[in-house]
Amino acid sequence: MLTCKQVSHTLSEEDYEKLSPLRKRLLKLHVKLCIVCGKFNRQVMDNQDMCRHYKAHQETSLRDSPELDDRKKDELKAMLAAHSSDSKEE
Amino acid sequence: MADPSQPKVAIAPPDTWVERYGDYLFAYAMSRLRNREAASDCVQDTFLAGIKSLERFDGSRDIKFWLRGIMHNKIVDQIRKSIKENQVNIDNEDETLLESFWFKYSGIATTNPEPWQFNPRKAYDNTEFWDVFNTCIDQVKEPARQAFILRMLEDLKTEEVCKVMNITPNHLWVLLHRARQQLKVALEQKWTGKDVK
Repeated sequence: MLTCKQVSHTLSEEDYEKLSPLRKRLLKLHVKLCIVCGKFNRQVMDNQDMCRHYKAHQETSLRDSPELDDRKKDELKAMLAAHSSDSKEE
Repeated sequence: MADPSQPKVAIAPPDTWVERYGDYLFAYAMSRLRNREAASDCVQDTFLAGIKSLERFDGSRDIKFWLRGIMHNKIVDQIRKSIKENQVNIDNEDETLLESFWFKYSGIATTNPEPWQFNPRKAYDNTEFWDVFNTCIDQVKEPARQAFILRMLEDLKTEEVCKVMNITPNHLWVLLHRARQQLKVALEQKWTGKDVK
């Protein structure tokens, strides 16, 4: 059985979803039953869930806004064009 | 038979990158840095690094995500730069928390944190929730926000974040705790304040 400190330490180091199945199961069991660290560490796990879903959402549906300034776009286009022609010449 | 040396997906020519990926990368950088100038610099540095290492692109995924992978390092560089300008100090309140019985005994801040006022899981399929989440990250105060971005969103290891921020793992733990608290309060205010069931 894991101690509260081991659970807290593990959650501060890793996303619980990435743990081995056995370790994940032991950790979830501890959090579910523990009257000392259960509520606190449940919220740490909730936050990990939220961040994981946020990143997945960004992966598929990040809106292209806010947008780059037109002036900056022109500057970047010129920079890329210059580098493209340099590499072609090489 | 497919030639393994050939890229699996077509490479968009670099002179089209600004039109194709400029706004996407800028929006991504803004979601981490919250500063237009820093985010623009990040896009520029990413394109430059991308064009220089294009021959190493293996074509196994969309070049947009390859460029975003490069951008990860640029975002860390920008945060490192910003931290160098404003050194991270531990305040008395945080020091008290680290010296507290519960932290020493079980690595937690309190046995009885306030429960969520709504079930966030039910909102995960709602795009609007992630827009609110994005806004709420803005409200987390620095340096807790920077610690949260590096550790939770850019997936740096504890020791890497500590190196970038020049702090101890325990101090990082406090900063992440503060960030989670502030994010929760902001989300509850902004989300439950809305007429969303």
